[in-house]
Amino acid sequence: MKTSFRVSSTVGSILLALAVLFSLAGAAQARGQVVVIANNSVAASEISRAELRDLFTGATSSIKGSGEVSPVLQKDGPAHQEFLGQYVGKSDSAFRAGWRSLLFSGQGAMPKTFETDADVVEYVSRTRGAIGYISHSSPHAGVKTLAVK
Amino acid sequence: MIRDRIAGALRAVLPLLAFTALPLAAQSMDDLNIQLHGYATQGFLYTNHNSWNGTDSASGSAQWTEAVVNVSAQPESKLRIGVQARYFLLGDYGDSITLDWAQIDYRANEKFGVRAGKVKTPTGLWNETQDIDPAQMWALLPQSIYQIASRDSLLDHFGGVVYGAISLGERSKIEYRGFGGTRIISGSDSVFQPLRDAGMSVPNGIRGPVYGGALHWQTPLSGLMVGASEDVERPAGEILVGPMQGTISSGRVVSPDFFAKYERGRIMAAAEYDRTPVQSTIQLTGLPAIPDPTDYRAFYLMASYKVSSKLSAGAYYSSFINRRAAVSSSRFQKDWTVAGRYDFNSFLYAKAEQHFIDGTAVGFNASDNPDLQPATRMTILKLGVSF
Repeated sequence: MKTSFRVSSTVGSILLALAVLFSLAGAAQARGQVVVIANNSVAASEISRAELRDLFTGATSSIKGSGEVSPVLQKDGPAHQEFLGQYVGKSDSAFRAGWRSLLFSGQGAMPKTFETDADVVEYVSRTRGAIGYISHSSPHAGVKTLAVK
Repeated sequence: MIRDRIAGALRAVLPLLAFTALPLAAQSMDDLNIQLHGYATQGFLYTNHNSWNGTDSASGSAQWTEAVVNVSAQPESKLRIGVQARYFLLGDYGDSITLDWAQIDYRANEKFGVRAGKVKTPTGLWNETQDIDPAQMWALLPQSIYQIASRDSLLDHFGGVVYGAISLGERSKIEYRGFGGTRIISGSDSVFQPLRDAGMSVPNGIRGPVYGGALHWQTPLSGLMVGASEDVERPAGEILVGPMQGTISSGRVVSPDFFAKYERGRIMAAAEYDRTPVQSTIQLTGLPAIPDPTDYRAFYLMASYKVSSKLSAGAYYSSFINRRAAVSSSRFQKDWTVAGRYDFNSFLYAKAEQHFIDGTAVGFNASDNPDLQPATRMTILKLGVSF
């Protein structure tokens, strides 16, 4: 009798905790089109999804045929959300948690991060090896686009 | 007191910062890619009875505070230099500023890199990141393996790490780490709590050589990693028992660890097993040696689910036992945990966790709990901010 009471109480506590947490859930993110851009020094004209994911999660710092490259991030916005959803497979909070894990354990540095598409294009155009992402409709003169295989 | 601690920490950190600045002086700040980051957390603990790790958790305690500041520079793509300082308070432990790590890292290519200085020890699944609260969904990692009151001494060493990855084709690779140097376990670490409870002290801690390695196999099954690591050390130090002096030594401690993690979409699942057999010997001057063998075996199973872009929830089961201890509730610990994390934005997050603990082997000190109960429920709320 005492045992069954303890189990019921335990299950009740779990359900209550989960109910509170679920009630705080956020809304789904809107989606648009995104394009991957690179500095003209990057030899490759295409990049695989796996390479893109590894590069933007800090698992690698090179891509096939181009040697050392560096990822460039956006702080937020539709292009950022779509890029994470489509190519990285992580939410923004999980994505940043991964970079913080590398940063605070001494295994990596945070990539350069910019507010707007225009800022990303400007930085990528003048930085050797830089690879970023912007909305498909944003102007991107002075950089090359990478096809994602 | 606080001023002395800050001064002590600055004395340790400033020479390192000066050292890091020397080769960089000729370059502009932008070229150096200097970054300043940090985070701070405040935890609230409540246990239905039994105080946890020296906090007054049975009455509700906010004695769990951490703050970390990290400065790094990357003068060129292959070279990083950094230093990280931490303020840590958990009940009886910490309340001081310590040097987390200070290192130079040179990554020649994907296959080979090396870091040297005070570095994180790359063992187990989470050892390098166990103290990085913003990176974890859990307020408290499984205490069977990642004991919070021991981590400041056990998660790093003075020396070096070599690391790299070897491709096994398009969809698989092996990441390796090898390490060596000296480990110092401070006298205030919780591993000495049973000795303190018995009226002994290890004033200067113990130290000794440490070496080992780890392999992480990213399998062809997308998202699945399996790995193993081994840590070998031989620490020794001075022990005081009232007016008597002596030595404490652990012989050669070999600690194997096996782990796996699966991440796919919104799901993460992980498991880890660790064994640490220790043949400690206490030798007091003029008396026969006193053997103090232990055989710690620990494992956990965990899973979490990304409910939405801001909310994660999960649960784990953690088990710890000292196979050489006498049969009692202080010989083992089993912990069922449910947890959730909510990210308000990129900087601010909150965690809530409920633990259902059976046994008192980890974190429940006899000196703090004269009426120690065999089972405990613990509720944790934690707020964190990072930049």
